Amino acid sequence: MRRTFLKSATAAVVAITTLGFGTTVAAQDAAEFYKDNVIKWIVPYDPGGGYDEYSRIIIPYFERYTGARVDIVNLPGSGGMKGAVEIFNSPADGLTVGIINGSAMVTNQLAEIEGATYKVGDYNYLGRIVADKRVMVASESSGITSFEDLMNNGTTEIMGATGLGGSTYVDAVITGEVLAIDQRVVHGFDRSGDIRTAMLRGDVQTMWGSLGSALSGIEDGDLKIILHGEKVATGMLEGIPSIYDIAMTMDDGEKRVKILESWEALSAVGRPVAAPPGIPEDRLAFLREAFAQAMNDPEFVASSLESDRELSFATGEDMSRIAKSATELEPDVTELFVKAIRGEI
Amino acid sequence: MTIFEGMASGFFQSTSLAVFPYLFAGSIFGLIIGVIPGLSGHFAMAMAVTFLYTMEPAAGIAFILAAHATVAQGGGLTAILFSTPGTGQNAATLLDGPPMRDKGEAGIAVGAAMASCFLGATFGAIVLALLIPVLREVVLFFGPPEVFVLAFLALTFVAVLGKEDMTRSLIAALLGMLLAMVGVDNVTNTFRFTMGSERLADGLQLVPVILGLFAVAEMIDLWVRGGTLAKDVPTALSAKETQKQIFKGIGLAFKNWWLVMRCSAIGTGMGLIPGLGSAPASFVAYGHAKQSSPDRDTFGKGNVKGVIGPEAANDAVEGGALASTLAFGIPGSSSMAILLSGLFILGLETGPRMLNQNVDIVFVMIFTIIFGNLIGTIIGMFLVNPLSRATSIRASVMVPVLMSVIATGAFAGERAIFDIGIAIVFGILGYAMKVLNYSRAALLIGFVLGFAVEKNLYLALLLDGPLFVMQPIPLGLMTVTIIFLGWNIYTIFRDRRRVIPK
Repeated sequence: MRRTFLKSATAAVVAITTLGFGTTVAAQDAAEFYKDNVIKWIVPYDPGGGYDEYSRIIIPYFERYTGARVDIVNLPGSGGMKGAVEIFNSPADGLTVGIINGSAMVTNQLAEIEGATYKVGDYNYLGRIVADKRVMVASESSGITSFEDLMNNGTTEIMGATGLGGSTYVDAVITGEVLAIDQRVVHGFDRSGDIRTAMLRGDVQTMWGSLGSALSGIEDGDLKIILHGEKVATGMLEGIPSIYDIAMTMDDGEKRVKILESWEALSAVGRPVAAPPGIPEDRLAFLREAFAQAMNDPEFVASSLESDRELSFATGEDMSRIAKSATELEPDVTELFVKAIRGEI
Repeated sequence: MTIFEGMASGFFQSTSLAVFPYLFAGSIFGLIIGVIPGLSGHFAMAMAVTFLYTMEPAAGIAFILAAHATVAQGGGLTAILFSTPGTGQNAATLLDGPPMRDKGEAGIAVGAAMASCFLGATFGAIVLALLIPVLREVVLFFGPPEVFVLAFLALTFVAVLGKEDMTRSLIAALLGMLLAMVGVDNVTNTFRFTMGSERLADGLQLVPVILGLFAVAEMIDLWVRGGTLAKDVPTALSAKETQKQIFKGIGLAFKNWWLVMRCSAIGTGMGLIPGLGSAPASFVAYGHAKQSSPDRDTFGKGNVKGVIGPEAANDAVEGGALASTLAFGIPGSSSMAILLSGLFILGLETGPRMLNQNVDIVFVMIFTIIFGNLIGTIIGMFLVNPLSRATSIRASVMVPVLMSVIATGAFAGERAIFDIGIAIVFGILGYAMKVLNYSRAALLIGFVLGFAVEKNLYLALLLDGPLFVMQPIPLGLMTVTIIFLGWNIYTIFRDRRRVIPK
């Protein structure tokens, strides 16, 4: 009987010590696991693009805080979907992460595009690097100087967009529908750069895009921002109406605002860094911590501002929430979006 | 800063100790990438960009531009010596380059090619410099209607290429256009001809198609007939002989300077137009060289002008493409897009600001192109000897070696094994076309221009309606096209009628 007692006592002691040190041991394990290990970082676009650039700027800091070496792998294709799928299906050992075109992946999933075999809500997010502010610009040659002009001048403006389902297209169609803008959306341009050229030629008058990409055009005097998608206008956007301002002046204002908020949720997904579903909790926590430290490192923030790359950090937990809310929209809103993405509006 | 101050500053910067070594390194890097089949300018830029994060602006530009500039030169080398285009730009060189090698004139072809490259690049760079004040207006000339008609005009050059059998060439060209439509259509998001394959949804990539059509097909041909690559010259030329030939080739390029200038003009002009790419320019130049030459029947059998024309054009494209990219900060092609981000990483703005404030950087670019090509030409000459010996190695050794290089090249573009399969499929198609006497060049033109034609037709119709042809420039170009086609059809029937009485 003593033996059994001793046995169970030893077992209890061992159990308690393990539980007690359990969490610290796990944290220790994660750091040790990553030290001098190799993390694969997938970029779903060619080198030189925005996603690739952001990755290359942050990776040295990420390496510093994980203790691991990070290898970039460029996997372009299907407008960013190939890389996103690759990340989703990677081994869940915590050694593969990647940056994804969040908004595009959400729209692909909502519209059930062929090949969208991932679930945006199921990724393990490390955090978000940036969410671009969306703005509508009008060309100098169009003579439109404000959104009021646009609505009151009685002409049907031509709005340029890239491919169906792309952000320029979805922005144009959703806002056009909700704010009853008299416009004709011409899509099929290869890249937003081509739309800009068309604006300079006078073929196209307006387009939606990110604030960052419009900056150079504004400085050159070719473009003017006439509308934006932020609830609170800061910096350059002060004095320019937001979609919410306009929506509230229309009847059924509340309903319109709700749709616009869902649209904003879509853009809020932005450019997150994610790992596949199912990786061990401790490793995910470690990666999230390292990512947060890298994003908040003063040196990193300074160098990013220098290269004119905006940042809007969100933690991994926040990101999961944002991603879920972007994909779990109300049925009528989802229906509207799907129609927009498929070009049926 | 005035233009002259910019020019002087740019010159001194590019020849300075801080920059020139990078220029040199970039040229060599580009040359090597060009020589390896399947690795193109786009790939060279992508690799080069990753080094830029730690470089100073002028040095970084010199490196990346020099690399891009010499890729076509390296590609020309392999096109002539191994019937394998190093890049898409060199596909037109395949028409007369290998026949010259077969005749034992490989050295002449290479010398002429390298010299034409250099002259063409210089032409393009100078035009870029001259256009600086009016760059924006010039590039704005070309909208969807203009590009559509131009692409269509380029397509009709197919008629010239396949004069002996226009029907077959047209069939090949239209087949090429059909193949360009495989994939997801950008405009309606419909899957076309993908047969349920996800890989095909992105469309057929240019590099595996070219490698298959021209390189793999040549390998199959070589394997089947045995012997050596250089068909009629079983023993290798001596080093001295090759060297003499190279100098002769260089001399020939200078002798045909007027042809070089015209073809360079074609190259630069087509480079200005965003979205066309560099392959069409070399084919149009070839067509023009053939058309304007008194001995046009020898084209396709080893006429040095058939090498000079395309090579001058494909390097002149550089200057044109750079012009439109710099004028607006809007890239005209994927390699220009990478260059643009490279500039961004280096902290440089493009657009009117660059032309006004940083004109010296623009001149650094111009001098980089000129010097880079010069270095490429000189180094390339040294590469020729060892490489040309390989053309006398027998098939049973060459084919496996080249096939592995080709397979690697096909894989490298998108890191996809699938692309190797595409190359093989097109290799079989290319061999069949070769045997049945269908012009592969026509298929390639149709393939490359298919995108440009369809996309711009769509945009032109959407923006201007079906009467877009009536606008001045498209109307003028259409008239030229119709006259050109009409004249060619007429001469074919006329020549046929002449032969029959005998």
